[in-house]
Amino acid sequence: MSKAEAARRDEELEARFEAEALPMLPGLYSAAFRLTRNAADAEDLVQETFLRAYRGFHQFEPGTNLKAWLYRILTNTFINSYRKRQREPQTISDDQVEDWYLYSKMAEGGLEPSAETSVLESLPDEDVQQALSSLPEQFRIAVMLADVEGFSYKEIAEITGVPIGTVMSRLHRGRKALEKRLWDVVRERGLVRD
Amino acid sequence: MSEISCEEVLGEIEHYLHGELDDRRASLLADHLADCPPCFERAEFQRRLKEIVRTKCRSEAPQPLLWRIKVALRSEWRTRGPGEGTPPKSG
Repeated sequence: MSKAEAARRDEELEARFEAEALPMLPGLYSAAFRLTRNAADAEDLVQETFLRAYRGFHQFEPGTNLKAWLYRILTNTFINSYRKRQREPQTISDDQVEDWYLYSKMAEGGLEPSAETSVLESLPDEDVQQALSSLPEQFRIAVMLADVEGFSYKEIAEITGVPIGTVMSRLHRGRKALEKRLWDVVRERGLVRD
Repeated sequence: MSEISCEEVLGEIEHYLHGELDDRRASLLADHLADCPPCFERAEFQRRLKEIVRTKCRSEAPQPLLWRIKVALRSEWRTRGPGEGTPPKSG
């Protein structure tokens, strides 16, 4: 490849990266915030993700799942460099949370089914974010990717590099753990009879 | 009479709500939910909960971040082209 050809190829890659990858910034930032739990680290993590993505962009196969590819870089970067700096929430025995935990608790709390979700809707965003952020890392990542970012189980398996069965189990346990945290918030805020 | 039990439906509801069941299975669940108010009520609760998590867990990126990243990328582009960050292939 001549110098001129190489330069043209670089320019094309740069233009494509700007047009296709950079628009994913809002979602990536949101995900980074859920992972790092603070704005400054989230910004750094997103910037590092884009730099790494750009450096590997020539290996990215056009037409394949760019969004999943970027989230994989984000998740790996977080696990490899940011996690070490942070104190992980203590693992609690979430296996003891039974299915339909929140639904049952809210019903016991004397709420009509139709009022139950209204109570949850009335929670400040920060409370729900904090509940999600307080989950152990593997659960947090799985629930964030599935229920906030809307990835399929298969995509999450690719992003996190674990088998789909593991994804399903982490999601199930993570969702239950989240229900427990949300119930704690609802109770602390005095939104139901205890 | 529904072809699947309430227990089966409730056991698969999270996969159903995430669009992970195949069409045949999904329509079995949908039929059951249409005929079974208690299951429907639980499914609806779970669906709305999922929606609440989705909408409340979005954080807006600060305005200068895009600009900051563009600057970082530009300086990367000036110093080296894509692919030069990885070891060159032999030959």
